[in-house]
Amino acid sequence: MPVDAKLSHTAAMILQAIRAGQIYGFSVMEMTGLPSGTVYPAMRRLERDGLIVSRWEQQSIADAEQRPARKYYRLTRTGKATLEAVYKRYPLLEKMIPSPERAQEVERT
Amino acid sequence: MKLARSSQLARLIVRSASVLVPRRDRSAWTAEWTAELWHLCHPRCCEPDADPLQFSFGAFHDALWIRCDRLRSDALPVVRSGSAARCTLVLCTATLAALLICLCLPGARSALLPIPYRSAGDLVIISSSGYAGAQSPSIRLDDYEEWTTDTATLFRQIAFYRPTDKAVYPAHHPAVRLSLAQASDNLLALLGLPPNTADPSAPHPAQPRLILTRTAWRKTFHSDPHLVGRTADIDGQPVLIAGILPDGDWRFAGHVDALLLEDQHTLATLPAATKGFVIARIRDSAFPAPRDGWRKMVETHFGVTRSFDCISVTRLLGQPSSVFLFALLLACLALPATTALPLGDYPSRRNRLPGTVNARRWVFLAAKFALVLAIVDLGSTGLAYGLSASGPITAIYIQIATAFPALLFGFRWILQDQRRRCPECLRLLSNPARVGQASCNFLSWNGTELFCARGHGLLHIPELPTSWFSTQRWLCLDSSWLCLFPETIAPSPELI
Repeated sequence: MPVDAKLSHTAAMILQAIRAGQIYGFSVMEMTGLPSGTVYPAMRRLERDGLIVSRWEQQSIADAEQRPARKYYRLTRTGKATLEAVYKRYPLLEKMIPSPERAQEVERT
Repeated sequence: MKLARSSQLARLIVRSASVLVPRRDRSAWTAEWTAELWHLCHPRCCEPDADPLQFSFGAFHDALWIRCDRLRSDALPVVRSGSAARCTLVLCTATLAALLICLCLPGARSALLPIPYRSAGDLVIISSSGYAGAQSPSIRLDDYEEWTTDTATLFRQIAFYRPTDKAVYPAHHPAVRLSLAQASDNLLALLGLPPNTADPSAPHPAQPRLILTRTAWRKTFHSDPHLVGRTADIDGQPVLIAGILPDGDWRFAGHVDALLLEDQHTLATLPAATKGFVIARIRDSAFPAPRDGWRKMVETHFGVTRSFDCISVTRLLGQPSSVFLFALLLACLALPATTALPLGDYPSRRNRLPGTVNARRWVFLAAKFALVLAIVDLGSTGLAYGLSASGPITAIYIQIATAFPALLFGFRWILQDQRRRCPECLRLLSNPARVGQASCNFLSWNGTELFCARGHGLLHIPELPTSWFSTQRWLCLDSSWLCLFPETIAPSPELI
């Protein structure tokens, strides 16, 4: 997907939530307030378009914590560039879901 | 306790939703949803407001999305826009649709099926005016009566019918007006139609019999199972309803709801000048082979000579294939006037395409021709015989009028389509660009250039054919050009 692609507001919120560190599907739901039936298909579409990528966490970590392994999502380079371009379209996005870098900047000021 | 129950129910819902996910993705998908559900419901990390049931219902949306996406992506390479597979698929679908339409239209279906009459090659229809006489009544009743005795050396059997409209008053049913074929009682025996269509156990052999067509029995008498065997009143005369004629068994001119079979004495009460059709079964000795054509019968009566045409029923009713072949011949003759026949210049000897690639191109061309022929044949037969109720001759004209232009434009499209395809991947070429100027035609070539989106080559089409550039030319590109064509590069997302 090209960097200047127009994302829907929902997809932009999900991308921003992943950037903000919400790397599991359920945590993205909590952060965005979107239902599971919206979040998971949107994440599949973003993954198909190469904006995010999913990985299974190591089984040893899950076993140590006596829980099932979870699948986590991360932004790709394209996803990050797309998100930067999308900020112009949705200026409040960063304020709604601040990314860690942005939060640090706010703390410093 | 309540949470545990809804957690179990949620797990069941996720498992049910997993059925929608394609098999190859199912285990990973189920693992992800189960893990998420575990984190949602487990006391250690349980959210106070979390509703596992509401969360699990989203699994159906997710599973359905994956199923649709896989379907789309799996089907895409096959039916990609402009691909040979897509073209073949569209033509196959059109062929199937034309076949289904033909099978649904009774007239077209019977035209496609073989003639139902016994030894149809021996049957002729006698006409006083060529093919036109096979479409409208042309033989006088008194001529027919004379022939029943005079022509024993020519014909083994001879029958008469005339189309007419009459009010029929059947017992236990309201009066209806039917299109009848008022015929001599030997007509069904002459045609060799199955004996169950006529009830042989009629109480009064001399009583006229009414044979309804299946369509009329179904539509007018609502498929009354007790109708056969009852009597009806036609022109104040009792008539036995003797049987049902299967759809498609009546192929002769005129729309007919029923056959009214009467003996010679009853027919003789009609005016002598009444005109109708005469069908006869010929003697082998009188009509030497080949007998599927057209013969003249000359009669001299009191010094007056009259001639009649004996048209073979197989020739008359077996027209769809012969008319189509005639239209095909005309289209082949007219084709060079509408488009150029050569498919263009393809790579020279030293840069020749592999044999399998070349073979695939020719097989694709042959498949297109075969499918277009099938579509036009079925389509024109459907139009001519399915929609026309006015007889076989009108149907012949309709079939020629539809099949010829359809074949001509179909062949023209096939050749033009073939010339606009990449010889390697058979996809349609894209991005036409005009090159050169017409005013500089003698200095350098001008025309249109198209390229294959997969980078196989360029097609040069000259604006004006010249002695050095008379037809389109294909230029193969080597693999060093592939980086310019986006369809050959796979996307590779990188992690931050």
